[in-house]
Amino acid sequence: MAALRVSCGAAASYRLFLGGRVSFARGQGLWKAAAAKPQRSPGCQILRLRHTTVVTTRKNVAVLRRETYTVDFIKKQIEEFNIGKRHLANMMGEDPETFTQEDIDRAIAYLFPSGLFEKRARPIMKHPEEIFPKQRAIQWGEDGRPFHFLFYTGKQSYYSLMHEAYGKLLDVENRQDQLRAKGLFSEKTKAKDPIGSRWLIKEELEEMLVEKLSDQDYAQFIRLLERLSALPCDAAEEEFVGRFRRSVTIQSKKQLIEPLQYDEKGVAFSTGQGNRKTAKAKVAVYDHGSGRIEVNGVDYLLYFPVTQDRFFFSLLPKL
Amino acid sequence: MAASAVTAVRGWSGLLLGVRSVVLRLPGLTQVRWSRYGPEYQDPQIDKGYYRKPLAALTEEEKYERELRKTQVIKAAPATRTSSVFEDPVISKFTNMMMKGGNKILARSLMTQTLEAVKRKQFEKYHAASPEEQATIERNPYTIFHQALKNCEPVIGLVSILKGGHFYQVPVPLADRRRRFLAMKWMITECREKKHRRMLMPEKLSQELLEAFHNRGPVIKRKHDTHKMAEANRALAHYRWW
Repeated sequence: MAALRVSCGAAASYRLFLGGRVSFARGQGLWKAAAAKPQRSPGCQILRLRHTTVVTTRKNVAVLRRETYTVDFIKKQIEEFNIGKRHLANMMGEDPETFTQEDIDRAIAYLFPSGLFEKRARPIMKHPEEIFPKQRAIQWGEDGRPFHFLFYTGKQSYYSLMHEAYGKLLDVENRQDQLRAKGLFSEKTKAKDPIGSRWLIKEELEEMLVEKLSDQDYAQFIRLLERLSALPCDAAEEEFVGRFRRSVTIQSKKQLIEPLQYDEKGVAFSTGQGNRKTAKAKVAVYDHGSGRIEVNGVDYLLYFPVTQDRFFFSLLPKL
Repeated sequence: MAASAVTAVRGWSGLLLGVRSVVLRLPGLTQVRWSRYGPEYQDPQIDKGYYRKPLAALTEEEKYERELRKTQVIKAAPATRTSSVFEDPVISKFTNMMMKGGNKILARSLMTQTLEAVKRKQFEKYHAASPEEQATIERNPYTIFHQALKNCEPVIGLVSILKGGHFYQVPVPLADRRRRFLAMKWMITECREKKHRRMLMPEKLSQELLEAFHNRGPVIKRKHDTHKMAEANRALAHYRWW
């Protein structure tokens, strides 16, 4: 004999349990009193309906932790990369000794053509140093004591760098004092910074130190380096400061200047092209010209009747 | 030092330089809120005299500045800028303020007609005047325009401040650009509203400009009214918190 107890609930769902656990609902209105424990009479099972709500159970998802790559793992990757590079050079019929990264990129683009718009999603083969993020080795020994004396500052590389830079500054000042004492000191005003280089930016410094820095830390460090570079330095100090400078390109070098062309009459001319939205333009400028400007075969005054459209002609240099 | 941290070329090696990202920049590089250019972009140098100056005539500072400019990225010049001798930033700004619905052609033509009308009126007066008076009559429409707008600029302005559920007109100092803007705005509003239906804008505007040049007329009166209101409300000056 099975005693079935049914009761309706607006949004309650029904579960049939045979001696199962009671699951508690979250919403107050949905929860009906759980049925009592099933009473087992000898010989028969009593089925009782328990009214519960659907409860999502927690899935066993592994906690996402930062992947730590051991030094051996990275070494193995580098070996595999080098061997792979040689195989690739062989496949492409090139000399494995003089196979550069650009050659690798070209080979991979040839062997694995990809139409993906996101360039970073395309297949790449780069040195493991560029692929795996730089990580710090364990900072303490087996006894739990840290190796670096500035470990407990939290930013040991940054503070040790500041310590080093300030030490160099004090050395330079000591040297100056000694020279002054001997009377050999000459007030040489240092020339302004040459424009070809700039200081490291904060992201580059963070990458170098493998540590997070704040804006104030970065600014402090650059101020210290500027102070150091303002004084007359030794070669060692110059080299130290040079480590934190990057070269800056002259923007005009990025423009491709094509060589002059000559037409059948021997007049030199040069062409160029440009575009803006869906408009495309091709220009040819001739030497020993009359100053006339023609657009699509029509004089520019007729093609651009609005004065403002002709403004940019005044920006052309008159050679 | 120019190549110091505060003017460092800012760009992450992976990202495109020039596209604005949400990263907070260092002080020293000013950000404009809705400019598509990053703060490292410099304004273009349109003045031809800058480029025609011979190298020998440059000072050390100028030479350094030119070398620095070679390494900097420059914004594109806007279509309204030109290196012509006829370009006037005040006239351009006034034309833009007069423009309705993007009709720059109409606004420019109205501006040129206004200047022509001013010139014609002044020439008529010149030819009708005696030699002593002729020396005092200004005929250049550009100087008349500039002087008229300068005469219309208020010295102090009023700002509505909400305090205790009421709006009070509080006297407040104005920045130069705000003063210039108010002068132009009052001139244009006056000419649009207080004219006869059949009268054209150049005629009315030339009339108002000439009156403002001589420190009389409705725009000057509006400026004086603003000053009087500011003087009357000077007890409320402490409502200002900036």
